[in-house]
Amino acid sequence: MDDFQSGEECAFVTDEVTNIIKEAIEAAIGGSAYQHNKVNQWTSNVVEQCLNQLTKLGKPFKYIVNCVIMQRTGAGLHCASSCFWDSATDVTCVIMQKNGAGLHTARSCTIRWENKTMYCIVSVFGLAI
Amino acid sequence: MAERDVARDKAARLLKKQGSMSSLASSDVNRVHKVGSMSTVSFMDEPGHEEPYRPPVKYENTYQIAPGKKFPAAKVRHVIRDVLEGYLSEEKYEPELCRQMSKTISEVIKARIKEMMIPRFKIICIVHIGQLNGQGMQLGSRCLWDSSADTFSSFEFRNKSLFAVGSVYGVYYE
Repeated sequence: MDDFQSGEECAFVTDEVTNIIKEAIEAAIGGSAYQHNKVNQWTSNVVEQCLNQLTKLGKPFKYIVNCVIMQRTGAGLHCASSCFWDSATDVTCVIMQKNGAGLHTARSCTIRWENKTMYCIVSVFGLAI
Repeated sequence: MAERDVARDKAARLLKKQGSMSSLASSDVNRVHKVGSMSTVSFMDEPGHEEPYRPPVKYENTYQIAPGKKFPAAKVRHVIRDVLEGYLSEEKYEPELCRQMSKTISEVIKARIKEMMIPRFKIICIVHIGQLNGQGMQLGSRCLWDSSADTFSSFEFRNKSLFAVGSVYGVYYE
């Protein structure tokens, strides 16, 4: 098949996506403390806004956005993902963020955001069409 | 006769220079054949020893616009349940164990689904393992995809000290 799209415009730029996720978390949760009846709304808002912003990038990708919010009670949480896909075009974006210090590798980023009362982990997967 | 031998030696030396060892061997075979009428074939280079250069595969158009078979979400759910129950039903929450376990389980689920040989589906497998400590937790996901072909399935497992959620997304590769 002929490829009519050139590299730059159809590439998944992790920095862009990282910012989108961070903004979405800030907008949805901000500085609020854990409230049981609001968590449902928060998770929806985070994934909704992430997806909206990703769509606006207008790139030929299908997206999967996954968000976990957990109350901080000292309990542990582990999250792992494995994928069967074309590693040349498809990327996962999971940014680990802890108290403002970001950490992400080239082809994958995870967002881990936390305040005093809760954790938030957002993973974004982009699959080239 | 002697003249021919000299000529053959010359040819052999030439071939040696060019590095074609198998041709040299076949000239030996000829000599044996003349003397006792017995034929042997010998290869100097072992077949399959060196990987030949293969150009990248270029697929032809399939003109196929929809998946022939849908992603078997129910079967996948059973696989997730099998794996989670198999690995975790006897376990207690321990940070180090669960850290390893989450990675292992996600790999195992992915491998099990790969074995099902679902053509043209990309698989994404996410596993969350957490401690049960009276905390609240919410897991949500949204997808931008073609809902007629792409799907997901998930299973939640719990025992006395931990919970695990396995989700598998199947995305059709057009």
